[in-house]
Amino acid sequence: MNSSFQALLIGFQATIANVRANMQTFLISIMTIAISIGILGIFLIIFFNLNGFLASWNQQVQLIVYLNDDISPAQKKHLEALFKENSTVQSSEEVTKERAWQDFRLSQAEKSGMEFDIGFNPLPSSYMVRFKLSENRLTHISEFAEKIQNEKGVESVEYGKNWISRFEKFMVFCRVFLMATGALLSFGLILIISNTIRLSIYSRQDEIELMLLIGATPGFVKIPFLLEGILQGLFGSLLSLALMGIIYYYLKSEFQVSIESIARGMDFQFISQPFLLSLVGLSVLIGFVASYISTYQYMQVLNKR
Amino acid sequence: MIQLFNVVKNYGSGSPALDDISLKIEKGEFVFLTGPSGAGKTTILKVLFGWEHFEEGQVLVQGINVGKLDAENMHTLRRSIGVIFQDYKLLANKTVFENVAFAQEVTNRDRKTIKFKTWEALKNVGLTPKKDSLPAHLSGGEQQRVAIARAMVNAPPIILADEPTGNLDQEISLEILKLFEELNRNGATIIFATHSQDILKLGNHRVVVLNRGKVVSS
Repeated sequence: MNSSFQALLIGFQATIANVRANMQTFLISIMTIAISIGILGIFLIIFFNLNGFLASWNQQVQLIVYLNDDISPAQKKHLEALFKENSTVQSSEEVTKERAWQDFRLSQAEKSGMEFDIGFNPLPSSYMVRFKLSENRLTHISEFAEKIQNEKGVESVEYGKNWISRFEKFMVFCRVFLMATGALLSFGLILIISNTIRLSIYSRQDEIELMLLIGATPGFVKIPFLLEGILQGLFGSLLSLALMGIIYYYLKSEFQVSIESIARGMDFQFISQPFLLSLVGLSVLIGFVASYISTYQYMQVLNKR
Repeated sequence: MIQLFNVVKNYGSGSPALDDISLKIEKGEFVFLTGPSGAGKTTILKVLFGWEHFEEGQVLVQGINVGKLDAENMHTLRRSIGVIFQDYKLLANKTVFENVAFAQEVTNRDRKTIKFKTWEALKNVGLTPKKDSLPAHLSGGEQQRVAIARAMVNAPPIILADEPTGNLDQEISLEILKLFEELNRNGATIIFATHSQDILKLGNHRVVVLNRGKVVSS
């Protein structure tokens, strides 16, 4: 048998013995990891869905070009030519003053159940410009709006710029919040796991000393504790995934209809696979770092004799 | 083989545990280290296998400068030394066989060799019938024999024994001494720390006497 594989096997057997000897602290540690990673995961689920909402909303945005009442046919033709020339524009449709007013009155009547009439038509005619679906759709709209708003005959342009910009700023805040929460939780977890491992080390102090006395390398002594930390991280994250799954399916069954009514066709999403793997990886890494710190500190104490 | 040059070791502010100790032990020698409690016997052994630091002097074991060894490489020194403790230091949750095998597992030997060597070591100390017993079910003499088997199983060229007969009656002590003498005949250098005059009389070997951290006679 390969000697390093054998060392790993012996280390793993010692890890199992450690876990059995300190089962209660091991389980408490796993639960703490599961809850902490779960909190992070739920924030991630919220973040993903807000992101999805923003993306879906972005794809529904269209540019409305409001026209002056005295726009000439030549100016209209020029604007239509600009729409056609732009490769990112999918289609454009003219909404006359009369149609705009009619649509407005219809929608008001539907809402209030009463006829709406003020004796004159205050609405301008406009062009509804739809853009092709793409990653940079919003940038294309913004650039085109910038260009067209100074054309003759154009009164103003509208595509919800302020709203989108505020939402995007909110998403940046969410990202920073997630990273800060993740860092804080990771730090807390490192402290908790390192304490669990420290307990494990103290419960096997005699054996560790004996190992070193009879010629074990520091690496050989550390392996079982490093494996224990890694196992805590792994089991903790798997448990948190199960908890997140349960919460996700509950939220989905409760709120999917409401979400669909806000953003048409949008599905309530779970964390994407790469992020799930990253959460497990992060948890394992935290377990490793925490146990490394504990074993390193203990070995330093032994070496200072 | 083993040389100490003007070694000084202090524990706190009291008088030094080792006070300018110089000593030379040749390959294959059997040396008794004796003196009253607190003379520095255990400290010398601990310094030899790198378990205690010392403030001054130099210690050479098998050509290795012990003071210059860092923690990462200490195992190279310890693998050439078998250590036997007065309190045996057997692992309570492991059987006799597992305790002896453990000394080889930490050095990454393969399973087959471990099994063979452990069996051989237990045979040499007459403990094969007790191989599956836990240390708690053995007498003091038997526990010490397990500790000796564990120390000799890797065939180290040096064996350090710290009061190995301290807790045993004279008859068993003689048996244990004979085991060490046999190891010595097979080529191992033995340093046997004891304060028992009976043991010193039973074995006809060089005696190094320590008192208050100094070599009184060698």
